[in-house]
Amino acid sequence: MTENNNDVREIVVPGEILTEDKNFVPGRGAIRQGNKIISIYIGLKNISGKFINVVPLRGKYRPEIGDSVIGKITDVSSVKWRVDINARDTAVLKPRDAMDVYDKRSQRGRGGGKSSREEEAETMKKFGLGDMLIAKIVAVDRVSDPTLTTVGESLGKINEGVVINVDVPKIPRIIGKKGSMIKLLKDFTTCRLFIAKNGLVWINGSSPELERLCIDAIRKIEREAHTTGLTDRIQYYIQEKKKERGLK
Amino acid sequence: MTILIPEDYPKTLINKDGKRIDGRALDELRPFKCKIGVLANAHGSAYVEHGKNKIYAGVYGPREVHPRHLARPDKGILRVHYRMSTYSVHERKSPAPNRREREISKIIEDALAPTLFLELYPNSAIEVFIQIVSADGGTRCASTTAASLALADAGLPMKSLVAGVAAGKADGKIILDCGDLEDKAGSADVPAAVRMIDEEFTLLQFDGEMNPEELEISMKYIKKGAREIYAAQTAAIKEKFDRIRQETEAENKIIEKETKKAEPKPVAKVEEKKEDPIEPVKETPAEPKPEPEEPTEKSEDNKEETK
Repeated sequence: MTENNNDVREIVVPGEILTEDKNFVPGRGAIRQGNKIISIYIGLKNISGKFINVVPLRGKYRPEIGDSVIGKITDVSSVKWRVDINARDTAVLKPRDAMDVYDKRSQRGRGGGKSSREEEAETMKKFGLGDMLIAKIVAVDRVSDPTLTTVGESLGKINEGVVINVDVPKIPRIIGKKGSMIKLLKDFTTCRLFIAKNGLVWINGSSPELERLCIDAIRKIEREAHTTGLTDRIQYYIQEKKKERGLK
Repeated sequence: MTILIPEDYPKTLINKDGKRIDGRALDELRPFKCKIGVLANAHGSAYVEHGKNKIYAGVYGPREVHPRHLARPDKGILRVHYRMSTYSVHERKSPAPNRREREISKIIEDALAPTLFLELYPNSAIEVFIQIVSADGGTRCASTTAASLALADAGLPMKSLVAGVAAGKADGKIILDCGDLEDKAGSADVPAAVRMIDEEFTLLQFDGEMNPEELEISMKYIKKGAREIYAAQTAAIKEKFDRIRQETEAENKIIEKETKKAEPKPVAKVEEKKEDPIEPVKETPAEPKPEPEEPTEKSEDNKEETK
């Protein structure tokens, strides 16, 4: 076992014994089985202090309060939207969480204002079936579906660009340490990017070729997420592809 | 066009030299090969070749249960759909799901459930679809192997991988991993699946005649075969990621070379500048600085990435 070697992290499979040393404690992605600690994912073994963790390489999105997500409206009723956010349950967006609160409040109760019901009915016209949204999760629990809001900075309907799907556990690599990778992607491809926690990435570039280049780079990050020296390699990759495809 | 005529069952299944009709020893597996991540649209997938069996498994979920009344509020449900292709067997198999397929789906469910943490997914279902492309005896065991790999590939937490293998009896001798002929012409068949963490049996069926001692031997054989399959499963998973890692290491070396080539250029420029103006004192301390900075930046990046 390479317990002290942190340079190249070992790939482990479910049920693989990580250690039999009693001084270690199972962290994320590991459980204790008898006097052994075993992995429960296909992932990368990682030792921090006395904890043994396994960082999974695949997995599904689990909504958490405060996550920014990209979703698609799959159903519209008279009182709410249903939004597919790439999770187990579809999320709910109610007009109360989608209206421009401050504009409406100033009118209400000062004569000529609308009742809240009328306001909500009007807000329901804002989004239609199939619209893509950037939204924030405001409530999640085991019993009911997650609730969204589109009130806030950089939230709302997506009008342009492309949205691609990536593996959720690889999102941290696409962002990079302190946003280094996302900055690199933005600088070298000149695309605008929004990386949502639920594994969807919005890309908007000045030309389809640049968008394509950005997608290819993200696919490369996704494929090689478990390796080292990724930032340098992506920079090199983008520069080479730019030459190849004749982009400036 | 080739005319497919089924071969008659041979009179003896074990040759005089103690080998079986396909040249295997009594406790030898058929050639086994597997791969994960083969289907782009499934959450997890696997492909298994076990002898002439060719099997694809795809996993979806956890997702909402349809029909809704099957949902359990305390834990998730695992649903396995085992299907044989019409062309997978010698005589065309009707595409309608039959009794045998439902039975195998059920037993694979029971073989896999003890490795999963279904209590984490209340009101949802994990669905496994198994398609037999080519069948050659022992498909339920090979399907369990494939389904287990696909579940792991989907990133679902699992206690262990499951390896499926059958034992049987032919010409009065216990054999491991029956092929199609041995299955049909032999006198007993014991398909089994083993949870590899503690080598517990999660599937054990029995068909034919055997005495208790023979069953003991077949279970020993099954555990031996399962260990070999588990080793192949583990190797296949690790190989996939290690191959990418090796590729990237080769790329890293190319990039290092390129950056080394690129580095001398600024030095040359500095020298040129040194010759022309007579005020190199200010420039030389200013310009060599970028050179040591560049490598430190890279090493920092590497450290960050390994964390």
